[in-house]
Amino acid sequence: MARQLAAIVGQGGVVADLEARRTYESDALVRHRAIPGLVVLPETLEQVRAIVTLCHQRGVPFVARGAGTGLSAGALPVEDGVLIVLSRMRRILDVDVENQRVVVEPGVTNLAVTHAVGGQGYYYAPDPSSQVVCTVGGNVAENSGGAHCLKYGFTTHHVLGLEVVLPDGSLVHLGGEALDTPGYDLVGAFVGSEGTLGIATKITLRILRRPERVETLLASFESTDAAGEAVSAVIGAGIVPAAVEMMDALSIQATEAAVHPGYPAGAGAILIVELDGPAAEVAAQFEEVERLCRAVGCREIRIARDDVERALLWKGRRSAFAAMARVSPNYYVQDGVIPRTALPRVLRRIAELAAAAGLRVANVFHAGDGNLHPLVLYDAGEGETERAEELAGRILEICLEHGGSITGEHGVGADKKAAMPKMFLAADLHAMNLLRCAFDPAGLCNPGKLFPTPRLCGERPGPGRPHPLEQAGLGSVF
Amino acid sequence: MAPAFDAHHPPDPHLIDDCVHCGFCLPACPTYLLWGEEMDSPRGRIHLMKQGHEGAPLSAVFARHFDLCLGCLGCVTACPSGVRYGQLLEATRQQVERRHPRSLADRGFRWALFSVLPYPGRLRWARAALRACARLGLLALARSRGLARLLPARASALLALLPEPRRPEPLATSVPAAGPERHRVALLSGCVQQAFFSHVNAATARVLAAEGCAVAVPARQGCCGALSLHAGREAEAQALARRLIEAFEAQEYDAVVVNSAGCGSAMKDYGRLLGDDPEYAARSARFAAKVRDLAEWLVEIGPRAPRRPLPISVAYHDACHLSHGQGIRRQPRELLGAIPELELREVSEAEICCGSAGIFNLVEPQAGRELGDRKAAHLLASGAQAIISANPGCLLQVRAGLERAVGSLPLFHLAEILDASIRGRPVPVSPSRATRV
Amino acid sequence: MPDTLAALRAVVGPPHAWLAAAGDAVDGVAPRFVAAPGSAEEVASTLRLADEAGLTVVPRGAGTKLAWGAPPTRADIVVSTRRLDAVLEHAAGDLVVRAQAGVPLEALQAQLAPASQWLALDPPEPGASLGGVVATAASGPRRQRYGTARDLLIGVSVVLADGTLAKAGGKVVKNVAGYDLCKLFTGSFGTLGVIVETTFRLHPRPVGRCLVVADLDTSRALGEAVRSLLQTALVPSALELLATTESGAAGRLAVLFEGVPAGAVAQAQSAERLLARHGRSRIVQEPSLDAEWRVMTEAIGDGGVRLKLSGIVGRVPEMIDAVRAVARQHDLRFRIAGQAGLGVLGARLESPDEAVLSEVVPELRRRLGPRAHVVIRHAPPRVKRAVDVWGDPGDALPLMTRVKQRFDPHGTLSPGRFVGGL
Repeated sequence: MARQLAAIVGQGGVVADLEARRTYESDALVRHRAIPGLVVLPETLEQVRAIVTLCHQRGVPFVARGAGTGLSAGALPVEDGVLIVLSRMRRILDVDVENQRVVVEPGVTNLAVTHAVGGQGYYYAPDPSSQVVCTVGGNVAENSGGAHCLKYGFTTHHVLGLEVVLPDGSLVHLGGEALDTPGYDLVGAFVGSEGTLGIATKITLRILRRPERVETLLASFESTDAAGEAVSAVIGAGIVPAAVEMMDALSIQATEAAVHPGYPAGAGAILIVELDGPAAEVAAQFEEVERLCRAVGCREIRIARDDVERALLWKGRRSAFAAMARVSPNYYVQDGVIPRTALPRVLRRIAELAAAAGLRVANVFHAGDGNLHPLVLYDAGEGETERAEELAGRILEICLEHGGSITGEHGVGADKKAAMPKMFLAADLHAMNLLRCAFDPAGLCNPGKLFPTPRLCGERPGPGRPHPLEQAGLGSVF
Repeated sequence: MAPAFDAHHPPDPHLIDDCVHCGFCLPACPTYLLWGEEMDSPRGRIHLMKQGHEGAPLSAVFARHFDLCLGCLGCVTACPSGVRYGQLLEATRQQVERRHPRSLADRGFRWALFSVLPYPGRLRWARAALRACARLGLLALARSRGLARLLPARASALLALLPEPRRPEPLATSVPAAGPERHRVALLSGCVQQAFFSHVNAATARVLAAEGCAVAVPARQGCCGALSLHAGREAEAQALARRLIEAFEAQEYDAVVVNSAGCGSAMKDYGRLLGDDPEYAARSARFAAKVRDLAEWLVEIGPRAPRRPLPISVAYHDACHLSHGQGIRRQPRELLGAIPELELREVSEAEICCGSAGIFNLVEPQAGRELGDRKAAHLLASGAQAIISANPGCLLQVRAGLERAVGSLPLFHLAEILDASIRGRPVPVSPSRATRV
Repeated sequence: MPDTLAALRAVVGPPHAWLAAAGDAVDGVAPRFVAAPGSAEEVASTLRLADEAGLTVVPRGAGTKLAWGAPPTRADIVVSTRRLDAVLEHAAGDLVVRAQAGVPLEALQAQLAPASQWLALDPPEPGASLGGVVATAASGPRRQRYGTARDLLIGVSVVLADGTLAKAGGKVVKNVAGYDLCKLFTGSFGTLGVIVETTFRLHPRPVGRCLVVADLDTSRALGEAVRSLLQTALVPSALELLATTESGAAGRLAVLFEGVPAGAVAQAQSAERLLARHGRSRIVQEPSLDAEWRVMTEAIGDGGVRLKLSGIVGRVPEMIDAVRAVARQHDLRFRIAGQAGLGVLGARLESPDEAVLSEVVPELRRRLGPRAHVVIRHAPPRVKRAVDVWGDPGDALPLMTRVKQRFDPHGTLSPGRFVGGL
């Protein structure tokens, strides 16, 4: 197999040495590891097609990977399978500012898209914190968001077309440059499919005009409850900020120690609220936001006077995860969503559970859309790992209890597939499986992700026609 | 095969644990930019170290990926978790140097390099030989396209990187301050710097003097050991460090000023390098605390000499061991900004190494060339009339890259520009009359 | 036949299933039965019944868009969602609403209004149901700013062809758990399942509005006006164009700004100045705003051939010119209206000679090429028989066929209505 892959991409495109393969054993979620049988780095569409076709012919499972910065083990290799790394397909193919479109290869970093159009006053809106390194291909797979998705949506709202290599090696073009392509919205189905439906080799993205004006303020409060009230007041006043981020006392402390953004000492919670848009509208709304924060009783408000100050306000928030490393030997980043109005209740529950487990939880989150990132702090050296994992799992359950979701941004991957049946019924997972089988009946494309147990693509799925494997007790159809 | 690390200074597992595998270092890494492979990224290299601690052997593959690391420390700047990759790399490199068997050709080449580079005297002989060859037209012949291609890659790279031999400018052993003396400083004369860029040293001394510093250039300075240290030749580096400290200990100085980024970076690290040595531990720490890069020092003491206008546009190239290694970015720009009528252009991918990286461009000519070409393209694209750098290695590498790009830009050390401004001399930026480096 | 009716009545209750009448035709195809289930479970049972009996099903909301697409090859049972008319949950604090598919969009808006919120969808077809809007991906002028049903639907419950009731998405906007089946079902024209419940994200109702109207002398001027407007940082809620046989070579643009009143006016003033460089522009405030807006956005009218054209924004002048040229060539009256800022236009062409209408679409497709789409919405039956309603879906058709086959292996749901005969 290595020889055949080398014939496709050249010797320099195949990684076979064990030490080298091992460096690919996980993405950014290191507790899930698997050594790929072979790693291959294609540079062209034809090579991707040839590799996938070869895997399909030989029945070898394969996993696609961008920069490996995912937090759900979505790029976790299949042991003895092939890992297809797209990092060498990183050309920006077309920049059409007038029609607000950019076409890129999957290995282009998220930030590179904005840089390509920044000089002309445009940008690419979905901005995950890892945007300097994460790739557009990965963003498509995970439907990545970022701090500004409250107003601007996520990747799926900005992908217009895809060229996809299907798991059998065939090529399809989904969507296109024009809107409303006749047919099923397979672009919408593909985005967020976590690499299980194929490999995107060209991606047409929508870019936006930079807003006329941006205003950012930081408000500190006595407690997360108070901060939450402020958010509700802002939303209730009919204002949709570009971003609303909240940090609790523990995360403020850690961030201050690590990056020194100058956050108010002793605050129970801080809000970073950013508004953008036409100048007159922003001015009016910003005044209102300030007024509402004061009305709720914030202790201090700081308004960024220029881009430098704005960057400083955001610096702390963006470094929050890494900052945890300074106050705790280990930490577990959780990602869950709840309806915003449930925030105070849920935070209280999390605090209760944390106390019961004897661990600390720092909370950093997108207050505008209820996407929580509880950071469970623990010390593996003290044997607290299991307790931390349990606590993180319980937090997800709380999110579900309140009508939320098990993942707002990081995806399900391998990490949360066991939690899928907690959020969805068997019938719901069955419907998803129908889609997967339409794309990948052989089950070779990133298998072992998203769904809790291997699901067969019977010829005639559904009740009433038992699959031979099911009859033999070797599999089940949902 | 033996496990990767023995007990002598293996890469510290605690430092390795600081890495949370987030990947933010990838876009800052020149080898990742070139090849897109995990094992040639900081994250991947740290993973290899971890594998080493778990018992993986010091295989050829293992060693290769560390040989391919430039040691530019771009990853250190990018890392949100504060991983001290520089220390990890040095520790790993010296393990590789001591315990990994290299091929005869490889050993031979490295032996040849380290027989000459750290010895100022031998470099001066090399300079004389080069000047003779140049006068005989041999250099031009060797550089002509056809011949260069016939040579093995490393030899051809060496040829391309040879500096233009020019008459050396003498440097006095002490230069008094102009006007009232504010400080007494010692100046490192360096190795390649004093052999091939003596005019830079002369300019440095003049600038310091103009700013009220009495400059002493201790005699019998040797090499600071930076190249050896960064190549993992620990014992050699330690020996050179001891000698250098001794040479500078004779008198008390307010600062030891260095005009080469790589050297300054290594010298500031002497405390750690000689930390195990009971005789030198305290002395090296005291010495290291006095080391200042030229730009750092000049901003620290504040300008005194008036600057005359230099109506040129320049691009400032950050040397890795100055920006990433010592965190000095603002000071050179501040100094350039203070020169009237000087326009400072920023360069794309300024954070990415030019590919010089000590001896990297000599032992890894292909990668060095690709990075040099990349940097040259960005520098040319800035539209500046001249390039400023603070490191002799960078200057040589960038010049070679510009030549290949069939463009040409005058290259200067920061000291030369400051000197010209202070003395009111023009800086030749037109290509035809450019002072070739 | 009596068995089927009895069986249907047993599922949905005797008054809610009956023999189809003339008015129940689906784009000219006469069904046999109509059933109006009162709950998602009844819908599921109905479909199970149909599946087992080998009968086909066409879902119907308010029936406003049954004539879109190709006529079904068969339509045995029309399943009406009329009785699924409850707004189940309006979480105003979260800007989310959950409602059954049969709720008319207008009724929903009325329920949301007291909280100063709305569902940012404004398709022109009056009386449309939520399920119908989603199934046909119907949209209107506000998509310029807010997107379409695809962007606003965050959760959906669907009954599959075999009677399985499946949910996708959820009640929160930020949700990447599992496949985004909401997107798959949006615009699927009832061929993958019957939508029974929808969850949408809402927006605050804008407080103030201001309109700018500009008359441009040529489609080229119109295109340049649109381009220059899009290059500013202005954020219009809608950017509509209108061109008719009467307007000759000219066209009209209407740019609607909504938000804080001062902001809307300021933006309108900016836009008016900008558009003045391309044509004659003026600001329209209350109370004339409604009337002017209605002129621009009223439903495109009946009769003739009604098309949807979509292409990249820069090609809007070309699209207008193509319609004009075809109309001139065949002596047709035309009306073009739609989202100039997105390249999505509706066109209606009519002629006393129906035969001529069959030439229109192939001619337009030829002129505009494969990267623009011309889709027939309404047309006389002979036109729909003569011309491919949807156009060529490209190389994704086999994949779409596989998707259809997985979700509806027996071809129960709306067979033949969709792209490629799906």
